[in-house]
Amino acid sequence: MLGAFSRAHRGPLGCALAIGLLVSLPSHGQARAARPDTLVGRRHRLPEAQVRAVRPERFAVGSQRLEVDSAALAQYRGGTAADMLGARLGLYIKNYGPGQLATLSLRGTSAQHTAVLWNGLNIALPTLGQNDLALLPISGNTQLSVQLGPAAALYGSGAVGGALVLRTEPDWRPGLRGSVQGDLGSFGLRGGSLEARATTAAVAVRVAASYRQAQNDYPYLVREPSGLVRYTMRNAALRHQWSISPDLAWRVGTAGELTASVWLTDADREIQQGTGVAGSNAREIDQSRRLVLGYRQVTPRGGQWQVRGAWFEDIINYSDQGAISNSRVRTTQSQAEYTAPLGQRASLRLGVEGQHFAAVVDGYGPDAITENRAAAFGLLRYDPRPGLRLSANVRQAALPAGLAPLTPTLGAEWDLYRPQAPDSLAAADRPGLTLRASVARTYRAPTLNERYWRPGGNPDLLAESGHGYEAGLRHRLAPGARLVLESELTAFYQLVDNWVQWLPLGAGGSYSPRNLRQVRSQGLEGSTALRGHLGRYRAAARLAYSYTQTQKTQGVAVDTDPVGVQLAFVPLHRANFTTDHGWRGWLGSATYTFMSYVYTDASASSFLPAVGLLSATLGRTVALPGRTSLTLLLQSTNLLNRRYDSYPARPAPPRAYTVSLRFAYH
Amino acid sequence: MTKYLATLLVGAAALASCNNPDNEFGPLVPSAPGVYILSEGQFGQGSGTVSAYGVASKTTLIDAFGSVNKSASLGDVVQDMGVVNNRGYICVNASNKVEVVSVPDFGSVATIRNIRQPRYFAAASATRGYVTSWRGPYTNYAPGKVMVLDLTNNTVIDSITVGRCPEQLTVLNGNIYVPNSYDNTVSVIDASTNKVTSTVTVTAGPQNVVADQANNLWVLCSQPYGTTSTPPAALVRFAPGSTTAQLTLPFASSGPRQLRISPDKKQLYYSYNGAEYKMATTDTALPTTVFMRRNFNGFAIDPRDNSIYGAVSTGFTTNGYFLHYPAAGGKALDSVTVRVGPNGFAFY
Repeated sequence: MLGAFSRAHRGPLGCALAIGLLVSLPSHGQARAARPDTLVGRRHRLPEAQVRAVRPERFAVGSQRLEVDSAALAQYRGGTAADMLGARLGLYIKNYGPGQLATLSLRGTSAQHTAVLWNGLNIALPTLGQNDLALLPISGNTQLSVQLGPAAALYGSGAVGGALVLRTEPDWRPGLRGSVQGDLGSFGLRGGSLEARATTAAVAVRVAASYRQAQNDYPYLVREPSGLVRYTMRNAALRHQWSISPDLAWRVGTAGELTASVWLTDADREIQQGTGVAGSNAREIDQSRRLVLGYRQVTPRGGQWQVRGAWFEDIINYSDQGAISNSRVRTTQSQAEYTAPLGQRASLRLGVEGQHFAAVVDGYGPDAITENRAAAFGLLRYDPRPGLRLSANVRQAALPAGLAPLTPTLGAEWDLYRPQAPDSLAAADRPGLTLRASVARTYRAPTLNERYWRPGGNPDLLAESGHGYEAGLRHRLAPGARLVLESELTAFYQLVDNWVQWLPLGAGGSYSPRNLRQVRSQGLEGSTALRGHLGRYRAAARLAYSYTQTQKTQGVAVDTDPVGVQLAFVPLHRANFTTDHGWRGWLGSATYTFMSYVYTDASASSFLPAVGLLSATLGRTVALPGRTSLTLLLQSTNLLNRRYDSYPARPAPPRAYTVSLRFAYH
Repeated sequence: MTKYLATLLVGAAALASCNNPDNEFGPLVPSAPGVYILSEGQFGQGSGTVSAYGVASKTTLIDAFGSVNKSASLGDVVQDMGVVNNRGYICVNASNKVEVVSVPDFGSVATIRNIRQPRYFAAASATRGYVTSWRGPYTNYAPGKVMVLDLTNNTVIDSITVGRCPEQLTVLNGNIYVPNSYDNTVSVIDASTNKVTSTVTVTAGPQNVVADQANNLWVLCSQPYGTTSTPPAALVRFAPGSTTAQLTLPFASSGPRQLRISPDKKQLYYSYNGAEYKMATTDTALPTTVFMRRNFNGFAIDPRDNSIYGAVSTGFTTNGYFLHYPAAGGKALDSVTVRVGPNGFAFY
């Protein structure tokens, strides 16, 4: 879409728009299923490959991956992953209000079933085993993708429904680039962001920062005996949210690369309560400090080794009317891996990683607790011929309560049909029909809360285990050099066993987590994307639909949630339409997201109704002298002004607007 | 053609009126005699409900308040309901309010707001109501209040400071007995002056007070909410006007709950170790045999026929149910599913 636009546009205005929007983000894939990176394709870009990392995605053959276009990322740069994943990819996000807790449910699984990785390291809060997407500002990253389906062999604990993969990728184009942006929006939204990059032949530096605050004092209606009564939202302000992320990449000789990335986030939020809850003035401070150092070296025989060390600190301080709950967890992680070419058609990666947690959490008592985890993995990619790609991966994790389940993965992609195409067409855009399939086992390690919370923490809890199958077809049609139509259809089936549930089974009737359930999720995902250009006009559209049936299939008598009923907060049907248009300095973009009703209890008796939401962006970039440009963006969310609850008793904001002005130097 | 159009229009209008959520002719509360069943609902979701069950028709109206009052939500965490004449007073804990409804039809009468963390309601007369109200956050509680309601105009007219976390109060001969569950005291309030006149010290964590036919008071003492210590649980009897216990019957372990008394005030009921026990008010020892082997989250005796209602909560995410038993216990007469977290009953 806009990424494609930036590549092809040559006019000064178009260039300005492209750079204004993209700043200097490398233009990667589109908001569509990512394409296979074939070994054959890779051999054509050998010089670059000397230091370029071999991404874990290369070993994810046969599974589905959604990537967010860097131009779309630029549109959301003042926002968070919560804003982006729901609207742009149509994923289901359980959202307690604007800026409030937002968690991702992939393929019907829970918030703890999405692994979140930043520069290759798991950044899930060790206490909760999940991430609040509202605390992950977009500005901190240059790449965002979602891998669907079980993928623990690649991404480790928690990749049950899938993984959210965030990265800061160095941009090796030499020179100085930068931009600064200010945002002003409805309901007291104020924000700003800046990004600066400097690159020489040996060093690439990027610094990005963003700030946001919002009053969120929007009107909403409540049904009372007298009729609909209008209220104004209270105690829902985002007092501030900072994100600062400096990154450095340093080419050491011709074969090595040293990277250092820092991501500091700090949010101070009032915690919005249900409309039926009175008198709360809850507030939460969330601070995360993340630092990762990495070194990568290419060996003379074409292999690549990489080591990484990371230090994280996550703080959550909650208070409500004098009730206080504080927590601080420090995590150190290290990884070492070696990737070896096996002839011309295969590569093998072997690696180990270790994690150490030290947690001071009010709920665990006065003493700090520590925990260690370790894992070893092997990833194999083999392309017997250009039209057939295979991968076989395995990971074994060691947890304090014993070994996690062994998690192998097998994947295959087979080009059923691949006609000759003009050489001018990029490999990824060549037409054809590809069949893909994967089978995987996965696991989720018990969280620190599940093990150490007092009362109820269960140190004997087993890791959740799961397995899944998926098969799909990908079809590409390029009726002319100006038009590409790409469609995908995927069917999946997966089971999660030893699903953890808190029940009053602890000492004195306290709630305690137990491995009780089996949950099955199955469904279909289809999408079709069309993109093309005509002169200076570029357009793209993508329509996606998902059917997700998730049910508890086995349990025990004390676990009273019924079997055979769609789980709460899993919509059966989701559909998403996005479209982007660019012409000269203009840009227009719209997304429509539909979700069928979701049950709000396990008995399937209460529900939130279906809702369809439209949002849109209109932008204009003007080139200014001295390699600068100015971009004006007008964005609107809930454009149809739908009245709906994003969570029971959490009315969502009505139609809202944001105006952004960006000044870029390139 | 015109005729056809007219028919279509009339039909469409009829259909539209069927779908109108403001339709006044919605489902009705089953005819008396009946029982209201309180369901806490899921905290934060505003899904507290009161369902109505007609004893004769054996029909149930789930969420009577919403059904009768234009789909309005009753509120968050429905805790207790008292009935005085033809008015019901519902303590909606997390919503900091007492919702007043007309009985039996459940039409909304008034909302008494700004009663913090209301727990239980009792009336001293047709015009005076008392609601216990907690203060302070979890584990850092401050002395609670008893809010005094004028039931003629549904306003708060006074408040009386008592001990921490006041629970299920009772009225006897112009005095109000308030168990302060986070302290080991029972506050005695003179209803004519709304002043605390004396304080009775009990073993620990008093939760319910009931008065028997001999005008003695029984207090069930258990582990206070949110504490990890396990003070000696006991059933304590004392006489009005006295501040010392006549009788203290200790339990072997913590956790007795839900002290109730029969309509003739001669039988006590309580829940302990997952079972319901029954003892005569003349007994001087705790019963050793189980009355009903069920773990009820709410328990009540119908004053009209002494039949028994037990509420079964199945966690905070699934619908619960209640069971209706004959007065002697035994096999249930009926079992009805209600919303999440059933915890109590009121009769109409």
